Amino acid sequence: MSLLVSFDGFVPQLRAFITRSQEQPVPEAELDAEFNRLAAALFALQRDAVPIYGEFCAKRKVSAVADWREIPALPAAAFKEFEVTSLPPAQRTHVFHSSGTTQHRPSRHFHNAQSLALYEESLRPWFRRHFLPEQAAIGGGADRSDRTDQAICNPQSAIRNPQSAIRNPQSAKPVVNERISESASGNSELTGSLTPASLTAPASPQSAIRNPQLIILTPSPAQAPHSSLAYMFDTVRADFGAAIFSGRVNGDGAWALDLEQTMAALREAQSAGQPVALLGTASSFVLLLDHCRAGRTAFRLAPGSRALETGGYKGRGRAAPKWELRQMMTRWLGMPESRILAEYGMSELSSQAYDRVIPEAGGGFRFPPWARARIISPETGREAAEGETGLVQVVDLANVRSALAVQTEDLAVRCGAGFELTGRAAGTAARGCSLMLAEL
Amino acid sequence: MIDKPLTLPGYFLADLPDGAALTPGLITEACQTLKRNRARYLEGRSTESLIQRLDGIGRDWLEADYPFRRHVLEAGPAATGFSAAVLAAGLDSFFRQLTTENLEGLLRQELGHAHRLDDFYPGDHEPGSNRVALARGPELLAHIAPGNIPSAVMLNLILGLLARSAQFVKCASGQAFLPRLFAHSLYEADAKLGACLEVAEWPGGTASLEDALFAQADCVAATGSDETLASIRKALPGHARLAGYGTRVSFGFVAKEALDGRHPESIAARAALDVAAWNQLGCLSPHVIYVEEGGRIGAEGFAGLLAAQLEALEKTHPRGRLAAREAAGIASRRSFYEVRAAHSPETKMWASPESTAWTVVWDTDARFQVSCLNRFVYVKAVGGVDEALQGADVVREKVSTVGLAGSGARAAELARQFARWGARRICPLGEMQKPPLGWRHDGRPALGDLLTWSEWEK
Repeated sequence: MSLLVSFDGFVPQLRAFITRSQEQPVPEAELDAEFNRLAAALFALQRDAVPIYGEFCAKRKVSAVADWREIPALPAAAFKEFEVTSLPPAQRTHVFHSSGTTQHRPSRHFHNAQSLALYEESLRPWFRRHFLPEQAAIGGGADRSDRTDQAICNPQSAIRNPQSAIRNPQSAKPVVNERISESASGNSELTGSLTPASLTAPASPQSAIRNPQLIILTPSPAQAPHSSLAYMFDTVRADFGAAIFSGRVNGDGAWALDLEQTMAALREAQSAGQPVALLGTASSFVLLLDHCRAGRTAFRLAPGSRALETGGYKGRGRAAPKWELRQMMTRWLGMPESRILAEYGMSELSSQAYDRVIPEAGGGFRFPPWARARIISPETGREAAEGETGLVQVVDLANVRSALAVQTEDLAVRCGAGFELTGRAAGTAARGCSLMLAEL
Repeated sequence: MIDKPLTLPGYFLADLPDGAALTPGLITEACQTLKRNRARYLEGRSTESLIQRLDGIGRDWLEADYPFRRHVLEAGPAATGFSAAVLAAGLDSFFRQLTTENLEGLLRQELGHAHRLDDFYPGDHEPGSNRVALARGPELLAHIAPGNIPSAVMLNLILGLLARSAQFVKCASGQAFLPRLFAHSLYEADAKLGACLEVAEWPGGTASLEDALFAQADCVAATGSDETLASIRKALPGHARLAGYGTRVSFGFVAKEALDGRHPESIAARAALDVAAWNQLGCLSPHVIYVEEGGRIGAEGFAGLLAAQLEALEKTHPRGRLAAREAAGIASRRSFYEVRAAHSPETKMWASPESTAWTVVWDTDARFQVSCLNRFVYVKAVGGVDEALQGADVVREKVSTVGLAGSGARAAELARQFARWGARRICPLGEMQKPPLGWRHDGRPALGDLLTWSEWEK
């Protein structure tokens, strides 16, 4: 256990935990004990190596923990104001920002090669298990990323591995005007005709021919180098056949969607009888589905098609309640509810939660065994009672170089072993006078 | 005497059982009835009799065993989220204002003569010996009531009665509790007056209902966010006027001399009253208390005193329960400042233990900060009034009230500075949520803005 006195010693142990927990059924009690041991060790490392976290823990008078539930959770907002990292500036090879327009100060989550590789190792098995359970059953969980080396990039050099970028001829079309944010401004050069953004990945060797065609409704990592979501979708595309990114970034940082490209890809897959996998934010789906509805275009996608929807609306575009979004996906994409997966994640975390295993019935959101969520009563700060609405707090062992315990501003209710999201904490004056300054 | 639970007759649209659907036709019909009743019962009514009636109702509401008051204190906490003590304090400070003297004073102030809504009269200081004037209110005044606190709606209803207007009060969903009871109390005291009132609730922005209302109204008094007001302005037909009350914020200012006295905690107690009144939800409630450094006690010390006073008030005037979303807003903000305080000696936070009941954040950054309210207040250190005004520059156009702790010539000079800068109202700290009946809401004559004049040069 002495290996746990450094981050370099911690990482292989976490890796082993991830692999083991995914390979075969492990008794719950063993997982609990191992999680607890690793969490306590990582806490001790971060308390000493992440200055702002150390200050926070000192203020809370917590210097060691016997149970992971005692670990002080750093508010997600702290990632905006402080550099929550143990990495010295020279070692920060990548940074993820929270989404938002350029007017708002984003959260920043710094990575180096090692922590970014862990991020990928954390996300792939859990994604696969929920979104592509057929593959998870074949491929197993011991997925050592073959893309690790090329995945690490400097934030400044936005285009990753340009050699593999095969220009999609459809990307030469101008972007239809479907800006997400309401403030009008011109599109940036990024959305112009010569964007290198739309990449079609050559099918990876292990992917079978009937693998779904992947349509990603976010911008590519080349266009949105600081988006953890774009990075995540880029990471998982090795599990698929051909893939396109049909999202775009506007001049003000708002995300848009190339509807023509998206519709063409859907049509093509439909006529080829090729299943489709759609990955996107809730707002990108609303853009697509509103477009389908306006044009009365209903798709009948091949069996095996599926969708992953994530994230809220962040004040952009039309917000549709979850049930309406699902209904529209069924109506216009022919996607039954059982094939729509919801993801819960954020740039401040390195693991994600999902709400079902496709095509099973949905349940609450569940994190992988190396991350655990608690629902905290905002009044008392203690764990909320069953059925009580509270704030989601996550202890994520894959957050190796930042802070493993993060207090989010998302409201949820516990349901069984998972949780259901119910909204966000009020940002400002709750009733009547509402006025928000940029500060928080 | 046997206590009976209050049963309200089904008289207003807001009395309809939950789920009873309002239709545009129903709204139109209600407006037409209101106008007929106004012609019959209100238009020719004398100012004197109206004032007498309102004075009586004001007295009733202050009586501990007045059934409407009792009902508010018993059922109000569940219906509004305010604790009984907060509701009682709010009712007291509002209805103490509702006196004959204040009502007559308001009319004289706004009209130059107390009876110009009855007949032609010369104004007190108006030029022209043969000139007389009378004022008329709108036939139908529609109120788009704010969701935050009920006293503003009640005041506007009183102004509408003085103006002899039929009135339709539209409340936000779930916010009709007090306006509805106040309307019932008017109806019970004077059925003819009650016949000229309607109270309904529906979700703001329900176009079909609002269009029906706006088509009938000749004046709309609306309180809400700037976006709400803009959308109402767009929806109003040409004949209707809008008296719009937009988003406002307020702050306190404690002059350094005020803290030199022997009882600085009494200043903190006054600030605490302003924070606790209507749980800080009104536009007149302070988001920030600026404390001028250089007194015997600095801003940080004052913040500690304020925290102690808020804790004491929580025992006598508890804040009450919050929805999870709002409690979570407070919890989130607290944890953010907890991090900041851990990092910097220039931020400090005091917070109620085991609850979100009250929070004080002290820092040295003079920039105005919008609070999440429900008794979450910032105390900011400033070198002087200029620094406070600079800090508040971001909300300059939006400032309603400055609660001032200071005295004598210095207070007069500070008041002048705040007024020239743009504050609409300067009052003693501790009085921020108790505007006088005749106060010029948002810097405008509240009654005067509703009226149209007819002049006669004899």
